Amino acid sequence: MPTVTMRVNGKTVSGEVEARTLLVQFLREHLRLTGTHVGCDTSQCGACVVHVDGNSAKSCTMLAVQAIDADITTIEGLADGETLHPMQEAFRNNHGLQCGFCTPGMVMSAVDLVNKNPTASETEIREWLEGNICRCTGYHNIVKSIQEAAENVGG
Amino acid sequence: MVISAVYVRPQKLEEAVELMSTDTWRILAGGTDIYPSIGENELKTSFMDLTNVSSLKGITEDQFFWRIGALATWADLLKTKLPPAFDALKQAAREIGSIQIQNRATIVGNICNASPAADGVPPLMILDAGIELTSINGLREVALKDFITGNREIARDKNEIVSCIKVPKIDLGSRSVFKKLGVRKYLVISITMVALKLSIGESGTIKRATLAVGACSAVAKRLLELEYLLEGKTTAEAGDLINDTYLADLTPITDVRATANYRKVATKILIQRSISSFENRNQDG
Repeated sequence: MPTVTMRVNGKTVSGEVEARTLLVQFLREHLRLTGTHVGCDTSQCGACVVHVDGNSAKSCTMLAVQAIDADITTIEGLADGETLHPMQEAFRNNHGLQCGFCTPGMVMSAVDLVNKNPTASETEIREWLEGNICRCTGYHNIVKSIQEAAENVGG
Repeated sequence: MVISAVYVRPQKLEEAVELMSTDTWRILAGGTDIYPSIGENELKTSFMDLTNVSSLKGITEDQFFWRIGALATWADLLKTKLPPAFDALKQAAREIGSIQIQNRATIVGNICNASPAADGVPPLMILDAGIELTSINGLREVALKDFITGNREIARDKNEIVSCIKVPKIDLGSRSVFKKLGVRKYLVISITMVALKLSIGESGTIKRATLAVGACSAVAKRLLELEYLLEGKTTAEAGDLINDTYLADLTPITDVRATANYRKVATKILIQRSISSFENRNQDG
């Protein structure tokens, strides 16, 4: 079995996995980082979004072996100890979630957006979220949360 | 050399090519088509992951060609400054899957997967793209239209790797447009799609038209008769000329997404909209 080594949330981790192991399975089942969710299993819903070398990617659409030597950030890597990341804080303030299932992926996609485009318009935010499906909120409060976080991060 | 591993990740193209000549490998680049295709089945294939082969990355140019490397993603394409003729390919890039998929999925993978509804194919057909294949025997080039031979069938030999897509630097100053029809805007497989490149003269008439339609035949098709017909017409005249006679080469099927007849009607409308989008742009310009 191949050995994979990668950096996850700043820490170097490695493990022996079958080549067919998906990145999301490695994160959840080997590293026990269960904040990253599996929703659809067909790379549509976006609950499994993580950052791979600074870009958002669906971790159910990657094999763990493809992430060898990569720098991965999951939802667990955002908060600084007890202090939430501004995006997490904004989701909390604006009721950007109901059941919470899609939230880790939403937050990770949103952080990637604000990193790349801190002045994104509402349309740009909604377009960016095309790969993240939420069945509770109707997206409105999610968009509000991202707008607030963008303002806070942008100063 | 006996290879028993189910996963290899070569560092150099020479190493990858050598391995290709010794065993059967499924090539892994972006991987976005591979996992969903497995479904509930067990994964038994041997994979060669090319993602560490740096010579296959990026989009580059020389005097005569643009080269889209085997590992170039849709996101890479959108970040690259390219001539106007690539606009259709960039518009397709924005609608492939979603942002996360565009970050991983490769353009070459879209071609090699050879879905009749591959969004990348019509925009590359109107650029007269060629496919460069590398094997232990050296380089070989095949025109894109000859490379995709059927529904999910390509003219790649077992020991070959597609190293890049080559786009000749001919008529790249002309603008192009891509229009697709799906039941939603994103995360959707196209019902039909059109890529159109028009070179418009001083007088406002079309000097040269290049047009391809996808998802309406096993392999996307250039409509050469229609291309010829559009020459010398104004964009306003051209829209009225589109009729079923010129769409006869298309053989759309009825499936879960649409009926054959709907596809044909929708294609005609998409072609007309593609042509008229140049009128608006002329006014803007």
